[in-house]
Amino acid sequence: MPVDNLSRVRKSILPTEGDTWSIVAKRELPELSLDEALAKLQSWNLHVFMRAAGAMAAPGGGNPILPSDVVFIEPPLAT
Amino acid sequence: MYDLVIRNGKVVDGSGAPAYSADVAVNGNRIVKIGKITEAARSEVDAAGKVVTPGFIDPHTHFDAQLLWDGCAKPALSHGVTTIVSGNCSLSLAPLKAKHRMKLVGMFNQIEEMPLKAFKEGVVWDWETFSDYITRIRKGLAINVAPLVGHSVIRLWVMNDAAMERTATDAEIAEMQGVLRECLDAGAVGLSTSYVDMDERLQPVPSRYADAREVDALASVLGEYGRVLQIVPEFYDADLTIARLDQLAELSLKHNIPTTFSPLFVNADNLDAVARVMKRVDEQFDRGARVWPQVQTRPIDISFSFAVPSLLFMRMPTWYRIIRFGTPAEIMAAFSDPDNRSKLLQEASALGPLWPTLIFRHANTAANQKYIGQTLEQIAKARGTTPVEVMIDLSLEEELDAHFLSSGMGHNNDKAVGDLLSHPRVHIGASDGGAHILSFSTYGDTGYLFSHFVRDLEAMSLESAVKKITSDTAAIWGIPQRGLLQEGYVADIAVFDAATIERGEEKFVNDVPGDGYRYVRDSHGVDTVIVGGGVAWTAKDGYKDACGEVLPGAVAEKVAA
Ligand SMILES: [Zn+2]
Repeated sequence: MPVDNLSRVRKSILPTEGDTWSIVAKRELPELSLDEALAKLQSWNLHVFMRAAGAMAAPGGGNPILPSDVVFIEPPLAT
Repeated sequence: MYDLVIRNGKVVDGSGAPAYSADVAVNGNRIVKIGKITEAARSEVDAAGKVVTPGFIDPHTHFDAQLLWDGCAKPALSHGVTTIVSGNCSLSLAPLKAKHRMKLVGMFNQIEEMPLKAFKEGVVWDWETFSDYITRIRKGLAINVAPLVGHSVIRLWVMNDAAMERTATDAEIAEMQGVLRECLDAGAVGLSTSYVDMDERLQPVPSRYADAREVDALASVLGEYGRVLQIVPEFYDADLTIARLDQLAELSLKHNIPTTFSPLFVNADNLDAVARVMKRVDEQFDRGARVWPQVQTRPIDISFSFAVPSLLFMRMPTWYRIIRFGTPAEIMAAFSDPDNRSKLLQEASALGPLWPTLIFRHANTAANQKYIGQTLEQIAKARGTTPVEVMIDLSLEEELDAHFLSSGMGHNNDKAVGDLLSHPRVHIGASDGGAHILSFSTYGDTGYLFSHFVRDLEAMSLESAVKKITSDTAAIWGIPQRGLLQEGYVADIAVFDAATIERGEEKFVNDVPGDGYRYVRDSHGVDTVIVGGGVAWTAKDGYKDACGEVLPGAVAEKVAA
């Protein structure tokens, strides 16, 4: 939610029902091709994307986005 | 004639005001007079040379199970802690259907590192609802408890196995709201949730399958009561922590509730990250949101043996798979097998600098006593091998009951930690009391605040340190009539020697049900602890009969939304 008087921080979303990488990519990064958008999203969200690899017995590893995840839609801000 | 008078002490009243000399008189559970008191009392405490303060409030504990066999939450009470908040991190022991008991025990075992045997032998499962659990712990309670209810537990209650698989339907969310209302009516101080924890199968805990809509719906119920939301954010990353605290800020503003997140650690290598988080905290407070970061006083020191799976090895899959899922015999076989051993050594090399510094702290065999207190580097040199191999060998020789200490793993930059603890928007807490009982001893974090940050480093005054862990905490958590030494307030009081109070040495004791062990620290410099007007502990006589309460009160006072 955009709010006055708050400094800019890295943009993120909280997923809504049914969000997958593709849906988020199309909605949040419409100016990019789907492949490009997916690659970027995944590189910005290793905490989500790498979780399946890190966990030892992840079921349904196809879409590892959890309903509670924070998903970044831009790279870290330059500091 | 008063019931109790504490004479000749210096009153540090919890407001941050300068200490002053006065006697404190108590009738029933209330402070009735502070000043020069000449009348007699049925019971007296001589506080000459000591300070008299409100009892300390520990906002982040996991004493939920221990309270079933120990109403004092030992040794927290003896350190001057008179109120604990239980049920943090999405986990509480109620409400809980009988069929989910072992699931919850598994989660407590995995996340909070509490032994399965203690649950088996220390817990008689005779409750399901939150209110029945409260009735159950209230018997024999010597310390006050402000219990959070865990989001994962409410989800399990309503959704059963689906709690670990998917988002909730509208009907399920409405039912969760109803359950939360019942818990708040029964005395819950708020709701806890987690965005990082994994269950005993190493799958996300139920609260992580909740979408923002569900959390918002539950927060709206908290808003009806003005109660607290506690979360565990992705504390290892500043951007994620900031995203979470923004989420909390919106909930705080929309529903007019206090929120708190823990932990927040500061290290030499994340000073900038913590500064960014605190800048955001300030901005959100300036908007009127209440988003309290909780910061612990003690540095991160972790003990482990391979008899219980330590979270220290979580990021080393070959090690963790063996120690998490193997029986003792299987673990020892894996440590002895040359092929497997070389895999373990290879994986351990990623943490190369850690192993030589580990201290060998506990062994059962006579032969290895000579190494106690030495680093693995020293022992490896004496044995002509490497630190990791010596760790494995000692574990085999001790049939896994060899303990190692990794000290100074972080949160040990005195200046940075001192600055953070003194920050007006930092909530001092996050002790984790009752959890991780074989990894570290949290008891005495308050003593450490006084010995290290007040006395040694002068990072804050005695008065402001007392305020931070008494009236500030009571205000954040909405606990009325506690946290200040003032006439009319409840008599929860600590009497201690400000010149000697400290956290005490960490020691290994055998006082957990199921013949279990844990690390604890005895209190040091604390003289008397009073709960609800009754003497609950003295340095001379130990624990006494006293009556703790469930706070903020069994009958919730609803506030206007
Ligand atoms: Zn916790």
